[in-house]
Amino acid sequence: MDAIVNERIKQVLKGDQEAFGDIVELYKDRLFQLSYRMLGNRHEAEDIAQEAFVRAYVNIHSFNLNRKFSTWIYRIATNLCIDRIRKKKPDYFLDAEVSGTDGLTMYSKIAAEGKSPDKEVETMELQEIVQREILRLPDKYRTVIVLRYMDELSLNEISEILEIPLGTVKTRVHRGREALRKQLHNF
Amino acid sequence: MKACPEEIVLYMQEYLDGDLSREDEQVLKEHLQNCSSCQTHFHELKKTITYIKSTSHIQVSDGFTANVMARLPKEKNSVGVKR
Repeated sequence: MDAIVNERIKQVLKGDQEAFGDIVELYKDRLFQLSYRMLGNRHEAEDIAQEAFVRAYVNIHSFNLNRKFSTWIYRIATNLCIDRIRKKKPDYFLDAEVSGTDGLTMYSKIAAEGKSPDKEVETMELQEIVQREILRLPDKYRTVIVLRYMDELSLNEISEILEIPLGTVKTRVHRGREALRKQLHNF
Repeated sequence: MKACPEEIVLYMQEYLDGDLSREDEQVLKEHLQNCSSCQTHFHELKKTITYIKSTSHIQVSDGFTANVMARLPKEKNSVGVKR
């Protein structure tokens, strides 16, 4: 896949804009999942993922063809997500409170419907709860957890994407996992 | 009741990242065999990972790529487009 991507990048560098479409196709799913896990909102996630591709295109000349393209584009997308989270922080706290209340409603709902034979609905709700709990993590923990488990990235790759020391990544993964364990304790 | 060694939780975490040395893994295993509360803790951590991985995979909308392409700065034959 890296060979295909590098081929396309070279075409883009020569001025073939259409070749960039293939790159988008290859990575759109992963960038969208990443943004969605980070932001929890479909519309925003698509917007950020698209913006990440636009930025990648505009800065494609600065991409080093000897490096992994996924690392580079993940970094662009992650930074955009973090910017977005920080910009809407005041709202975010309000949302968090509201969603906390919702969470309670949902917990009690699950308990009440615990014996429902509709297993699929139960699974859906659990997934929603997990997503909600990921969103409750402070962004520095959320970021590493999302990168670690969305695409099974290694700690080293995460350290490269976020440009933070490996030791810091380890600590954040540990703390993020521990925080989620406590939050999901009852499930 | 004796408190568990502090490093046990660290060992669990390192284990989950494939980051634990063989000797420390032995220490962790022996401790887990004798400590039900750490067993529970470890089990919950593993369950947490399963949960994170199970979050639903949502699909991008159909027009995604076309939208990105439409947002790209136009390439012109003339000079002046900076990249």
